Amino acid sequence: MIDTGYALGAIVLMALITFALRALPFVASRWLQRHDVVRRLGRFLPLAIMTLLLLHAIVGAAREHATGPWPELMSAGLAALLQWRSRNPLLSIVAGTALYVLLRNQTLF
Amino acid sequence: MSAPPSSPVSTASEPAALFTLTAPVAMGYIPLGAVFGFLLVQAGGHWSLALVSSLLVYAGAAQYMMIPMLAAGMPLAGIALATLVVNLRHIFYGLSLLERLPRSRLLRAYMAFTLTDETYSILTTLQKNNQPDQLVLLDKNGVMVPQEPGSTMVRQMVLLAMLNHGWWLLGSALGAVIGSQAQIRLAGLDFVLAALFAVLTVEQWRSRRKATPVWVALLSYALAWALAPRHALAIAIALSLIAGFWFAETHHD
Repeated sequence: MIDTGYALGAIVLMALITFALRALPFVASRWLQRHDVVRRLGRFLPLAIMTLLLLHAIVGAAREHATGPWPELMSAGLAALLQWRSRNPLLSIVAGTALYVLLRNQTLF
Repeated sequence: MSAPPSSPVSTASEPAALFTLTAPVAMGYIPLGAVFGFLLVQAGGHWSLALVSSLLVYAGAAQYMMIPMLAAGMPLAGIALATLVVNLRHIFYGLSLLERLPRSRLLRAYMAFTLTDETYSILTTLQKNNQPDQLVLLDKNGVMVPQEPGSTMVRQMVLLAMLNHGWWLLGSALGAVIGSQAQIRLAGLDFVLAALFAVLTVEQWRSRRKATPVWVALLSYALAWALAPRHALAIAIALSLIAGFWFAETHHD
């Protein structure tokens, strides 16, 4: 069971942080635009961090079973390929997750 | 809404246009929100937590990520740090929309709050198709009415943002209801977070097309894993940040 009071505390904290990040450009636009480093970081960091999060999610899921990271790599690969071709996030996420559930619930893995 | 004294020249079939823009988001947000609500309830969360988080946080990746964290009773500081990392990309969204968002503080704050990946990408297409500053309002005598720039556009933006937020809430509610009715143990359904990260990585790649951040991330993670597997993500992010600052300082383009 998840304690509701604790969860509410976490949710409020997450809400404040997310809003702060989304609102920062409107409050500090002059400062952000004056510093060229920020603009260049904006071209570097989002892709680097997203790659890290993807990698970490794959590694985390692969450690829960002993058959190697193949189901994770195949499913994430399918999601990425579909997204690249179709630009349809729902299709990519559903297909990737469905393939993974299939691979994990059959006897082979 | 009461009829305005003046008639905008270019608002023909506004609801239809809004629906065309928001329908693809609804197709995505309702099922993905449902998966979130379902997983949260199945992990032992009260159904109302799904609604509260979709109402207040409204960030898909962070919300998916919080489920295993809450289930593991992770300290709030760790959850806060993870939210910061996952949503860091949002800092860079608002910058490109600054000029187009409403002047009113309340509406501006709401627009900032609802600036998800999908809403952001719709708003950027909206501003390509519209020239808000050329919108002209005429009164009964055909004389131009002084107007806050692009007020039709502002209304469209706010409506779009509210609709998208509503789809996400609706999906979460449906998922929470289904999750509290059924006890389905399906191994691997939480891979939806990894699939979402794959989608977001592809979209970041599409807008940047630079291999350096990908290589930096892979190397950082490998190094961090060799150093301390339990803290691999935190160390890898720190390493990528250092590399990012270094590239930003030295590679002027």
